[in-house]
Amino acid sequence: MDTIDFNRRSFLVSSAMAGGGLAIGLQLPFGATSAQAAGGTPEVNAWVVIKPDDTVVVRVARSEMGQGTITGLAQLVAEELECDWSKVTTEYPTPGENLRRKRVWQSFSTGGSRGIRTSHDYVRRGGAAARIMLLQAAAQAWGVPASELAVDKGVITHATSGRRTTYGRMAAAAAKLAPPEAKSIQLKDPKAWKIAGKPLQRLGLVEKVTGRQIYGADLKLPGMVNATIRECPVFGGKLKSYDAAKVSGMKGVKQVLRVGDTAVAVVADTWWHAKKALDSLPVEWDYGDNVRVSSATIAADLKAGLDAPKAFVGNQSGNAPEALAAAASKIEAVYSYPYQNHAPMEPMNATARYTPEKCEVWVPTQDGESSFAAVLAASGLPADKCEVYKIDLGGGFGRRGAFQDYVRQAVLIAKQMPGTPVKLLWTREEDMRQGRYHPVMQCKLTGGFDADKRLTGLHMRLSGQSILASVRPAVVEKAGGKDPLSFQGVADGGEHSIGYSFPNLLIDHAMRNPHVPPGFWRGVNINQNAIFMECFMDELAHAAGQDPLAFRRQFMSRYPRNLAVLDAVAERIGWDKPAPAGRHRGLAQMKAFDSFVAAACEISVDSTGKKVKVHRIVAATDPGYAVNPAQIERQIAGSFVYGLSALFMQECTVKDGRIEQDNFHTYNSMRIAQMPKVECIVMPSGGPVWGGIGEPTICVAAPAVLNAYFRATGNRLRSVPLKNHGIELV
Amino acid sequence: MQSTLRELTGGAPVQRGRVKLQLPPLVENGNSVAFTVAVDSPMTADDHVRAIHVLTEQNPQPNVMSVRFGPRAGKAQFSSRTRLADSQTVHAVAELSDGSFWSDTVDVVVTLSACIGDLV
Repeated sequence: MDTIDFNRRSFLVSSAMAGGGLAIGLQLPFGATSAQAAGGTPEVNAWVVIKPDDTVVVRVARSEMGQGTITGLAQLVAEELECDWSKVTTEYPTPGENLRRKRVWQSFSTGGSRGIRTSHDYVRRGGAAARIMLLQAAAQAWGVPASELAVDKGVITHATSGRRTTYGRMAAAAAKLAPPEAKSIQLKDPKAWKIAGKPLQRLGLVEKVTGRQIYGADLKLPGMVNATIRECPVFGGKLKSYDAAKVSGMKGVKQVLRVGDTAVAVVADTWWHAKKALDSLPVEWDYGDNVRVSSATIAADLKAGLDAPKAFVGNQSGNAPEALAAAASKIEAVYSYPYQNHAPMEPMNATARYTPEKCEVWVPTQDGESSFAAVLAASGLPADKCEVYKIDLGGGFGRRGAFQDYVRQAVLIAKQMPGTPVKLLWTREEDMRQGRYHPVMQCKLTGGFDADKRLTGLHMRLSGQSILASVRPAVVEKAGGKDPLSFQGVADGGEHSIGYSFPNLLIDHAMRNPHVPPGFWRGVNINQNAIFMECFMDELAHAAGQDPLAFRRQFMSRYPRNLAVLDAVAERIGWDKPAPAGRHRGLAQMKAFDSFVAAACEISVDSTGKKVKVHRIVAATDPGYAVNPAQIERQIAGSFVYGLSALFMQECTVKDGRIEQDNFHTYNSMRIAQMPKVECIVMPSGGPVWGGIGEPTICVAAPAVLNAYFRATGNRLRSVPLKNHGIELV
Repeated sequence: MQSTLRELTGGAPVQRGRVKLQLPPLVENGNSVAFTVAVDSPMTADDHVRAIHVLTEQNPQPNVMSVRFGPRAGKAQFSSRTRLADSQTVHAVAELSDGSFWSDTVDVVVTLSACIGDLV
């Protein structure tokens, strides 16, 4: 733990560094963010630095945004390294260093619940390689075979001679050795884990709780100015003109600047002065045609898609249209899901300093390399003249990975004030208005039964927005116009494959892309697909006169891992026993991001049907492997805060082409008193595939609650958020 | 891409050098990537660049662009934009008036691919 005493909002980068550009990385005094691996300490390899005092610095490529991935990755490295966990800190290599070293740390992307599952193998090998080299260094120093050495908590011993040494003393020699061939390394069996797999306290927790954690807004660089920005509120519109003269005399104002074609920024001595001036700045926009779009026009367009003859097929077996036409009875339902905003507690921000010789950006980002790419594009400088320093995020949820608009803006502003560091911090209003929204979707589901009330066919027709058509059109083109991501949770294979086999199934998507920019909201497309599928499964069960759990089981014999998590929550909630008086239960299951998740909840509803209390949720998760079970439990609970807030309270509506909700008074979030008790069953079942944790868990809470609501009231809720039905979470 | 390259060169060997391909090593989504190709050449009647081809390894169509030059072009250089379907190596191949072929390559990483994983 550091003894440097900084008060929260005023730490300074030393002026020596700020002048010439930072060679190694931003010196931040707190372990979990970015510790300087300086003093000339050689690294053992790219993943591990060991200081003479036995401190271990684990290099982590992914970003920490409160999801605990950094701690998990450090645990995996430390496990193979066999070091003392109490001496472990972490450091972010920069994207510039990654490029210079031929991407030795590989991807920096922290999204898609991939941080651990796609990197665990090579980071473990990195830790193991360092261990092998350290032992080899000791073996050479003592003139004994390495096989005669043992190591525990960074202490190397040679039994027969009684000699011992520590990693700290061997690090310099180890750094000179040739690393072992990565493929030849034998990794530890997870069953033997002592550090990984354990519910260790997260690194950086104390800093967060005591307010010492540095966020983007806290940065202070010598000579720094502050900026805030307004982009055209109607997506696709342009900036026409603004009257800088009206505000340039206001207190603290330094510049009023055009940023690209679509935005205007005010730069001032303090952020508040910049915001006040921007609020007073007369601006004229050329809104364009999209100003005519509203939630009503979007809904009408999507509704037409529900019956459109053409749609992209995502999953099919047998012949659902025929089966439905021949069905003895049918039920049909239309569901809908709104636009939603990430709304992280920390608004978008980035700090940039530009000269023709160097462009540096400090930014909370889910992908340091994406930020770097944005700096390259916006600065026009070559890679060796650019750098990005990562700061821990005050919430990402998918807003800060694929989208680097705030980085581009900060660089474009800094380019107009060369040599001056500019901290660009959005207002909450700008953050709400310039989101990358959870896509809007409607869904018509039709189920057919034979005379004995057995399900014979199911058609799930999605109508709504494709994220990839906007963000990654190359993928959609490659798939013949289809967006494969739209079928997350109900796909015909892969990491988001459906957990049921139906006799005749058709799942298709009529793509309708409004002008509102879509993005990857935590869970991406599983949030709506879980509601559509899992609520309709309950509707089908009801029509068939069967219990929702028994009904589902009929279609799950080929999906043992889905069944296992579903059975686990059913058993724990006491599904086969009556609920306590006044309480009603619902359940849901899905596979997503290669993890299997289920939830069962208990709610009570008042006599008006308008006040809902969620008493408990039992959640089961099978991610294959659990690197930090305590952190998984927190992720599950946290995902329910996010998911239930969305279910009850959150919707972004469109009027005159722009998003209406501009702060938390119209886009609320649950409070601690409303939060149910969450009981977690973490049940990793091993196997060749590692599943993710950040996202899959979020999708099952909402359908479980909606299903419970029906059992409580007899009313089926098919659109969210529930506040639109006058329903309140109490 | 190799067969497209063979068609363009007629099977002649392609040497590294004399061509400078400038392309950012990291791009966010590959939708529109700026590049510049320049060839060191006196551009005289006896010694000039006849054509510059830009090829990609992973795009559906490997030959992105071919530009033909005569000695009166003065300078063998052009800039444009290309779409890159995914992380890949981009090649610039120059055909000189003496029939020789020269090339440069740049590895480009598309960072958004990581976000959507096995779809790409």
